[in-house]
Amino acid sequence: MKMAHSSFSTVDEYGFERHDDFDYESYEDFMSHYLKVLASRAQKWSTLLGEGKSVKRTNTVKRYVRKGIPSDHRPSVWMAISEAEKMKESTPDLYQKILDGPFEKELVDLVKTDLPRTFPDNIYFSKEANHQTHLFHVLIAYAHNNRVVGYCQGLNYIAGLLLLATKSEETSFWLLKVLVEKILPDYYTKTMDGLIVDIEVLSELVKSKVPDVHQHVINLGLPWAVITTKWFVCLFAEVLPIETVLRIWDCLFYEGSKILFRVCLTLIRNNRASILACNDFTSLAECFKAIVKNASALHCHEFMQSIFKVPGTLSNSTILKLRARFAKQRREQQQKEHR
Amino acid sequence: MISIAMATNRSAQRPNGAPQTKVCQFKLVLLGESAVGKSSLVLRFVKGQFHEYQESTIGAAFLTQTLCLDDTTVKFEIWDTAGQERYHSLAPMYYRGAQAAIVVYDITNQDTFGRAKNWVKELQRQASPSIVIALAGNKSDLAAKRMVEFEEAQAYADENGLLFMETSAKTAMNVNDIFLAIANKLPKSEVSTGGAGTRVLNDADAPRASSCCK
Repeated sequence: MKMAHSSFSTVDEYGFERHDDFDYESYEDFMSHYLKVLASRAQKWSTLLGEGKSVKRTNTVKRYVRKGIPSDHRPSVWMAISEAEKMKESTPDLYQKILDGPFEKELVDLVKTDLPRTFPDNIYFSKEANHQTHLFHVLIAYAHNNRVVGYCQGLNYIAGLLLLATKSEETSFWLLKVLVEKILPDYYTKTMDGLIVDIEVLSELVKSKVPDVHQHVINLGLPWAVITTKWFVCLFAEVLPIETVLRIWDCLFYEGSKILFRVCLTLIRNNRASILACNDFTSLAECFKAIVKNASALHCHEFMQSIFKVPGTLSNSTILKLRARFAKQRREQQQKEHR
Repeated sequence: MISIAMATNRSAQRPNGAPQTKVCQFKLVLLGESAVGKSSLVLRFVKGQFHEYQESTIGAAFLTQTLCLDDTTVKFEIWDTAGQERYHSLAPMYYRGAQAAIVVYDITNQDTFGRAKNWVKELQRQASPSIVIALAGNKSDLAAKRMVEFEEAQAYADENGLLFMETSAKTAMNVNDIFLAIANKLPKSEVSTGGAGTRVLNDADAPRASSCCK
């Protein structure tokens, strides 16, 4: 059944088509409130940036970032609060140089296969629209720049969303580079070790912070990796509603990969009751598909406030310790298998 | 004619005075190289749809679909996996405990057939010994660009005891049939074959069993 949706188009502001089952009523409810937040934040940011100062990593900026960067400022602020700006300054013509080629055929084929399969329901990507060409440039440049990673499926969604948010190939390239090389552990390398370790870290955090959910999920036989691989690989792109993803990325560029655990733990903690209500494997798998689309995931401003409260204390040193522990376990396991 | 129930969501109706049928649940995994059409086969089977450009699958996607045999309702729990080689280390999670697998290749691409053979080998070594494996040569609508001969794949399937069909998610050719062939081959006795996912249920215990078996 289609709702009346006078004020909202069938395509959202980032070019994604809204499907027949799009809940216009909930969205209107959300936007009527969120537009006020956006207006107020836009004013604060223009005051901050209007003083002519470049954005520095200060506590004020960190607080501002947590409350959301206005979409117009995202490209420059993301560059400034991460190390991307610095990386670019050290080799300003890197991107253009790589694009001068030549390209390896194997990498070209790999990337080209995924171009029409990235956001096919987005008007900027569908058919031969120009973002497919931009996406090719960003991904092929990065694959040649970082041979250890090359091209990993999932990077297409990250680069694609970077293009939608920044409208610039080169900015997207640098932001992709800073994410893969500085912000995240080895998620995208050939063995995806960093990803597998981080999923173990999450499992351990759930075990200590939401023990009943952890036990229940284990009892029903659903591995955490099955649930969360895409969450980590895509940094919630293609998982959570787009505005929520961009708000997460605001914090990710400032505060690093710890944010991903906060988001995972909040999703799990907020939906504890519905997860515990599942009594078989199938309903649990469906439940994890539903919780990333529900109202609490859509209301990005409240959601982003809750990620700093709901999971409780989560220090970088805890994460680093857990990462070291599971990486060591993994190496020992692999050595055993090779013997 | 195969009857397929669209029993994929929670609101599926309870049978109205339908006769008591046995409901069996099976875990099925799709494996194969990137872009051979794994997700498209599932989308065709589960929703009857086809998208020329199907989004690349990250990690895996989970769907369910119910098939009706004469006296049994077979409910498939389908894991559709990512194809890129580097996701390989995650694959055992999906085929562990699976009663059935569809290994997919693209008939227009010889490399994908080689990769399919590797998947079959891995399943024969690592998966449950009783797993039912089907080989699907997908994109049969592109026969003009064929690089893998039907006879070659058929001979390979025969040697390895696999079900084999050429399929087209685009035209729907053989899509339901391959799932049906698997359903027919799966043991539907009360005795579990050892896989963690085999569950023979009574209709009364199956909240999402559909009323497709009339």
